[in-house]
Amino acid sequence: MNWGIAAKNFYRQGLRAFLNVLVAALSIIALIFMLSLLNGFQAQATRNLVSTDVGGGHYRAPGFDILTPTEWEDFTISVPEVLSDLPAKDKSEVLIQQGQIYPNRRLYPVQLRGIEMDQSLLRLPLAGLESFENELGENIPAVVGVKMARKAHLKKGDTVVLKWRDKGGAVDARDVLIVDVGDIVNPRIDDGVVWLRLDHLQAMTDRKGEVSWVAVRKYLGSVEGFEFHGIELLMADLLALLRQDRINSKILWGILMVLVCTSVFNTQILNIFKRQKEIGTLMALGMEPQQVVKIFTLEGVLAALWALFFAVVLGVPFFIWFQGVGFDVSHLSEASFPIRETIYPDYHPREILVSVLIVLTLIIASAWLPVKKITRLDPTLALRGRAIT
Amino acid sequence: MKNKIIIAMNILLFCMFTFVNPCYAEEINPQKLLEQVDENLWANTKFITGRLIIDNGRKVRTLTQDSWMQGVERSYSRYKSPAREKGTKMLKIAGKLWMYTPRTDRKILIAGHLLRQSMMGSDLSYEDMMEDHKLSHSYSATLEGFDELAGTRCAILHLVARDKKTTYQTRKVWITPEDRIVLKEERFAKSGKLLKTILFKDYEKIETRLFPRTMVFRDMLKENTQTTYKFDVIKFDVDIPAKYFSQSILKR
Repeated sequence: MNWGIAAKNFYRQGLRAFLNVLVAALSIIALIFMLSLLNGFQAQATRNLVSTDVGGGHYRAPGFDILTPTEWEDFTISVPEVLSDLPAKDKSEVLIQQGQIYPNRRLYPVQLRGIEMDQSLLRLPLAGLESFENELGENIPAVVGVKMARKAHLKKGDTVVLKWRDKGGAVDARDVLIVDVGDIVNPRIDDGVVWLRLDHLQAMTDRKGEVSWVAVRKYLGSVEGFEFHGIELLMADLLALLRQDRINSKILWGILMVLVCTSVFNTQILNIFKRQKEIGTLMALGMEPQQVVKIFTLEGVLAALWALFFAVVLGVPFFIWFQGVGFDVSHLSEASFPIRETIYPDYHPREILVSVLIVLTLIIASAWLPVKKITRLDPTLALRGRAIT
Repeated sequence: MKNKIIIAMNILLFCMFTFVNPCYAEEINPQKLLEQVDENLWANTKFITGRLIIDNGRKVRTLTQDSWMQGVERSYSRYKSPAREKGTKMLKIAGKLWMYTPRTDRKILIAGHLLRQSMMGSDLSYEDMMEDHKLSHSYSATLEGFDELAGTRCAILHLVARDKKTTYQTRKVWITPEDRIVLKEERFAKSGKLLKTILFKDYEKIETRLFPRTMVFRDMLKENTQTTYKFDVIKFDVDIPAKYFSQSILKR
């Protein structure tokens, strides 16, 4: 009975009801899109960092700080058996040193990053280095990333002077041959980084067997002489940034919800005002004020259900299409975000369900709140259209 | 008779090369020649008023400074111009260098790896600027040959560092055996790649020493850059107030 009256009243509103539904539906779509895109961004950034740099964490020389280049040379350490005996798929030894290259005879400070050639823990485009001998030859083979190559005006086959210091502090310089320009998805290990074979960098700096850290697949317990840096610590800046992004997205989400609720609230106020005589008639015919409130609230529920229906009808094709084209974030690599390719939304059903439920609850609450006053209406005044002025 | 003539000619040639040309006498002992060079340049204390002309290929900047030096351990410099650098002070004590800039009103310790950075955009690193050790102490010299430089015959000494920690493991210096002065120096990387050249020009007799009025530094890995250090006033064995080598001097 109530459903029938509510449905009839709702459809009679026509364009007004449709616009309400549309606004709510678009808000649901925007909300899901925003959350899923953020999830996708986080998932891809994490995946890129883990697969190119972090692994499952680093066993580092105590005191080593990647943000203090002037001290890199002071914090190197020999690799103990517990780490060196790990299979190549489970660890990657890395040595970081300062250097300077002179492309076009102009000084360009760089990070020299030596990495084991047989490791398979990190996915890096360093195949060009594998064919070279362990011993240093005439030219030192090196790989640079696309971004680094663009900034330093380097290309495959170029030879450039590299200057560095050995363990004792003696200055050394040799020609470096750029054997490849690799496509590195993580700009943090592309910009300003020259990749070398670990054995070459160790020989160049008189640091045989020494590394700055050993990236491992998983935590192996404490290792004497090393300090372990987990994924959360190594990605702390990125995670903090994403946390801030989520806060920002909640503000946007709040604004969207205010708009939806205002729209529903406003429609309901207008309904009550315009339909005073109808309310008065229903009450005069013996309907309880609570029942009238119920009818009006059911109209809000109908709006919410139609919004959900339209969200599915409009949203699903949009999400399917978007999953195919993705979102181009190539501009982010300039800001050193560990993401360079197109990102795709990552949909979490539980998150979507909770969000939709919140939206529906808010719509229904917005529909109920203004009609509460019906319980206080005088039926005789309502019949004459003077109960609400 | 013929044999006698040949013997006489040999004796004559031997005498000519051994006694007449002093540079051949010196070539026998390159290490001693290096010591003599050090003796000529070395003084317990020095005061220098100079100009550092930095040409980076696009722009030329001139910095003027007063410097006081005591042995190898201590030196103090005060920059007088340009306005941007005026009041900047540098104090070196042993292996540490403090820099004071009036704009920040702070002193910064430049130690360790920071010493290897370029000093004020010049071709010299802070380490190069601080370097004031006796070459004969740090390097073993061998004679590589002779060469003519700016019309002067020079002995070329090849210097190899005695210590693995010495910044430049090998150097080459062009020394005039007669005056025992250095006209040119080349500094090499461990690999043998030429890194820096220094030309010593405008030698003048100051008190009992011959001292270059101009030194031209070139970083050979860079293009079109050079730093010229001109000494306008040089005084040896001067009295330097003790406060000049105290950190308390590093303030406005």
